[in-house]
Amino acid sequence: MTETRTETREETQKETRQTPVRRPRGPRRKYALLDLAAPVLAVLFAMAVASVALLVIGKNPLAVYGTMFAFSFGRLDSVAAILYKATPLIFSGLAVAVGFRAKLFNIGVEGQYLIGAFCASWVGFAVKGLPAAVHLPLVVLAGALGGALWALVPIWLKVKRGVHEVISTIMLNHTAFLLLHYLIADVFMDKTQVIVGGAGSPRVRMPLMEPTALMPKLHGLADLIGVELPSHSSLNWMLVFGILLAAGLWYLVWRTPFGVELRAVGHSPDAAEAAGINPSAVYFKTFLMSGAIAGLVGLSDLIGHFGYLDIDFPRGYGFTGIAVALVARNNSLGIILAALLFGFLSRGGLGIQVLEKVPMETYVILQGLIILTIVVFWEVIRRYVRARQKREEASADAQC
Amino acid sequence: MLSAEMLASAIRLAVPVIITAVGAIYSERSGVINIGLEGMMIAGCFTGAAVAFYAGPYAGILAAMTAGALFALIHAVASVHFRVDQIVSGVAINILAYGVVRFSSLSIFKMATTTPHVDCLPKVTIPGLAAVPWLEPLVSKVSPLIFLAFLLIPFTAWVMNRTVFGLRLRSVGEHPLAAETLGVNVYLMKYCGVLISGALAGLSGAYLSIEHTQMYVEGMTQGLGFIALAAMIFGNWMPLGAMWAGLLFGFAQALSLRVVTEAIPYQFIKMVPYILTIVVLAGFVRRSRAPAAVGVPYERGEAA
Amino acid sequence: MTNTTPVLQLQGITKRFPGVVANDRVTFDVGAGEIHAVVGENGAGKSTLMKIVTGLYPPDEGRIVFKGRPVAFRSPGQAIAAGIGIVHQHFMLVDAFTVAENVILGAEPARLGVIDPKTSVRQVSELCDRFGLKVDPSARVEDISVGEQQRVEILKVLYRGAEVIILDEPTAVLVPQEVEELFEHLMALKGQGKTVIFISHKLDEVLRVADVITVLRQGRVVGTVPAAEVTRERLAEMMVGRPVLFDLKRGPAAPGGVVLSVEGLTSVNGGRAVLDDLSLEVRAGEIYGLAGVEGNGQTELAEAVMGLRAVTAGRVTLLGEDVTNLSTGEVRRRRVAYIPEDRHRRGLVLPMTVWENVILGVHRSPEFSRGGRLLFRSILSSTEEAVRRFDVRLASVLAPAQTLSGGNQQKLILAREFRGDPGFILASQPTRGLDIGATEFVRQELLNARDRGAAVLLISADLEEVLSISDRIGVIYNGHIQAEFGRDEADPRTLGAYMTGARTARREGGSAAS
Repeated sequence: MTETRTETREETQKETRQTPVRRPRGPRRKYALLDLAAPVLAVLFAMAVASVALLVIGKNPLAVYGTMFAFSFGRLDSVAAILYKATPLIFSGLAVAVGFRAKLFNIGVEGQYLIGAFCASWVGFAVKGLPAAVHLPLVVLAGALGGALWALVPIWLKVKRGVHEVISTIMLNHTAFLLLHYLIADVFMDKTQVIVGGAGSPRVRMPLMEPTALMPKLHGLADLIGVELPSHSSLNWMLVFGILLAAGLWYLVWRTPFGVELRAVGHSPDAAEAAGINPSAVYFKTFLMSGAIAGLVGLSDLIGHFGYLDIDFPRGYGFTGIAVALVARNNSLGIILAALLFGFLSRGGLGIQVLEKVPMETYVILQGLIILTIVVFWEVIRRYVRARQKREEASADAQC
Repeated sequence: MLSAEMLASAIRLAVPVIITAVGAIYSERSGVINIGLEGMMIAGCFTGAAVAFYAGPYAGILAAMTAGALFALIHAVASVHFRVDQIVSGVAINILAYGVVRFSSLSIFKMATTTPHVDCLPKVTIPGLAAVPWLEPLVSKVSPLIFLAFLLIPFTAWVMNRTVFGLRLRSVGEHPLAAETLGVNVYLMKYCGVLISGALAGLSGAYLSIEHTQMYVEGMTQGLGFIALAAMIFGNWMPLGAMWAGLLFGFAQALSLRVVTEAIPYQFIKMVPYILTIVVLAGFVRRSRAPAAVGVPYERGEAA
Repeated sequence: MTNTTPVLQLQGITKRFPGVVANDRVTFDVGAGEIHAVVGENGAGKSTLMKIVTGLYPPDEGRIVFKGRPVAFRSPGQAIAAGIGIVHQHFMLVDAFTVAENVILGAEPARLGVIDPKTSVRQVSELCDRFGLKVDPSARVEDISVGEQQRVEILKVLYRGAEVIILDEPTAVLVPQEVEELFEHLMALKGQGKTVIFISHKLDEVLRVADVITVLRQGRVVGTVPAAEVTRERLAEMMVGRPVLFDLKRGPAAPGGVVLSVEGLTSVNGGRAVLDDLSLEVRAGEIYGLAGVEGNGQTELAEAVMGLRAVTAGRVTLLGEDVTNLSTGEVRRRRVAYIPEDRHRRGLVLPMTVWENVILGVHRSPEFSRGGRLLFRSILSSTEEAVRRFDVRLASVLAPAQTLSGGNQQKLILAREFRGDPGFILASQPTRGLDIGATEFVRQELLNARDRGAAVLLISADLEEVLSISDRIGVIYNGHIQAEFGRDEADPRTLGAYMTGARTARREGGSAAS
């Protein structure tokens, strides 16, 4: 009997394939096609539902979508606008995604980017006399630090007190709105503004930032590749920075030991802890990283376009970032594509508002719908893939 | 400081939190986290005002509850049926509700952020008590919804502890597999919990727009949906606790509105409810006893 | 004396899951009023079969005939309504509810949807009296003992008028004395005309109490025999397909110096001391088996040693070095291996790949990463080798760990933990839920490690396992080591007495009698 068992085991060992050593490509290469299906299906479904809304207000959906596409892709200034609008969304999506990977829900990007913008603005106008090569990086750094600072409280509360970060970050969002209002309108309001012609009132804004603090635009780079960007476009180097950051984060998550810890803690903090990883430390580092990236979200607008922070600074990037991260399933390349998608929706939305008199709100509805349908489809596909893989493993097991 | 007027003001401010928090209890006790309550409240706010404008306050309130329940249905389908992450689904509902409300407001009233003035429910005055001077602000000319809100507390406690529905609902939030093996329809219970929470959130929104300010203004919920969740946690998932938590917030709000000094900028006063929520959660989350299976998507026969 | 008319007939029941046939044309009869045992090893299909009979799953093929009529239950509610009730192995009880609430759930005595608590308590009390099951209806389930919880499960089915009562591995959580009580209850049920189906893999118990025994192996029925006509060895052979005696090789006993020393360890859970002045020692080259009923501090002891739980008093020492309250990472750095009792929660990150799980914990070592970069060539070759050595059957090391079977998952954990030739191994319930082959493999690996000079602390609720491979045995009860025995001194009777607290250590000066 003992002999029978040993024999079987040796036989099995010979049978087990000598798998060649190769770089892992990612856990589900075989099912990559399916992975793409979900976002595509989701977008189509969302467009269908939006069509219903359009019909309700008496518009022809096909005409509307046609205009949307033509407006967005037919003109160079539209393409530039899409890239410009996508830039903050790349950062926002990355910020949310890096948190999601550790199962941390950073709903506070909305507040973090405002605080980051404030800090960047302050360093931009308060510090004078520095060359651009020093000032600009300082400004960017200030933005990141501001965001990280605003993320510190929620993650500390979560780790030390078990407070769910969703509620604490949302509370801090509201707090940030109020704080910013106070800082811009009451503390740092630029009183040196000159009112022209006695009409109107001064803008509620902080002082102008130094020219050395502003981000150069991409016209120079575009010229190099033979593209002439419209002069009014504010497309700037933050876009390049964002793409590089996306690549860097991919590397961090999939090719470094910290990435292993991040994902392990996200999937199973218990197992990670038992293996000797410190989940609290991972949560801290990840969330602060998320906050720092969030702090950069507003910079493209701030130092690439406006040059000052005012009370009407664009809002909503935080929530759109959530949509971007979900559509892209936290994947770096996907985030860039999803950011472009939402940039397209935003630009196209402007187009149809002007040309077809369709309200902009359709865009927000689309956003919410896309999130919902996407996660539903993901869930369905994930279960299907898991069942298939279980079958494969079971047959491998049964062969022995 | 502790005048009847102050108390009345505190109660008026507490009511939306209390109603939504009680609604949240139904959902969470059935095991479903409902982050989308804010969105459901927004839906209720707008729908209530819009319908009240055309058909009077009673219709408005009913419509608001229906609107809240409809959004809750979406959340239920996504998170119970498709087992999507409940937090993600809730966040999506918030975004969706915001957009739909804006869109509808524009389409119906041609204004995105407000609706016209609406009539509120006839005010109630309790005859005997109104004669007592120091009670007067509390019991005269108050919205009937306030009484409804406070009745909701013992009613919910009774439902949870004394009815078949309540027992089954709670069992599903604690140990869904056990409930299933005993013939309880787990999915149905979860749907009920979520829909009730949506309807109550809608009611809460209707209170805000019809009774409190008598019009809809964008952003009027100001995070109350999330504060209500905190109140529920603070109240240990029980109606009476949620009531006290809600009153605490109402009181803090009322207090902060009356403190008008040069020293503190008004923005910081307005921050009080949010900071208070965080403080409360930080201080009290430890002793809490959430339903054992809350937030866990249920799959039939999964524990095989 | 069995009746001639079978009360329950299973005919050709077949059930398939992705990649495996759980039940394959299962056919046998259960006579009315008999105690019928269904035996088989883990994975033989017993649980699945019972889930089909009780309506949780529909069968893919075949039919069930109950009291002479074919039935097709589409939900557990229907099975219960028909009169078939099941007491699950893992109790289906709501901890926060009272006993009465658990019993009435789903079949509440109510008027217009309103429950009268006094009625439910009264009804449950009456049932207790009638069947001799003592338990307090108003007590909360989380406050009562495991044996009492099992009685609540039995009450649940009786409350619904079950005529056929199925018990799934009922003795897994009981000590010898409680097993006796259970058998008395079963006899009482039989006396009241109920039919009992008893699922187990513990052949001694089955032979004691059953009238008829059906043996399942790999989803198929091997045979149905009267208990009086069969021996333990024959049953085991039917169960496994070959004469089975665990043929484990162990080297001579050669214990070295003390590796792990636990002194006066105390830890609390919200006011209750789950570890109470606990002391033990494990030496190099020996296996110290810790016997005890689950819930007496075993989990907490493992957590305390591994740095997953705070210790309020006492010390944990490894090779003379004080490691009390150090982090898990630091403990592991001292060549400590840990096989957690819950492999799905603590052992593996299921959605991550096999190779990621193998390097988990050592991913920062110079072998696998340099300059913030993972070294894939080294990782993959190391994983392939570990997988080969520990006989983990899989299609690819790139597949997620959750696609592996239970036995292979456990072997994967061993592959990870034993890779670094640990000096101390803490194995907690290492063979739970594994089939015979995997169980034998794991036990042999523990013995091999011991022969290589490692110190092994084995925590197991399976007394047979503890008795079979330990050099020394300790009994834990109420968070304290009550007694210790050498391999040859231990007998189940005495152990059982200490395990249930019928006998306790005399507490003078706070150390356990040795």
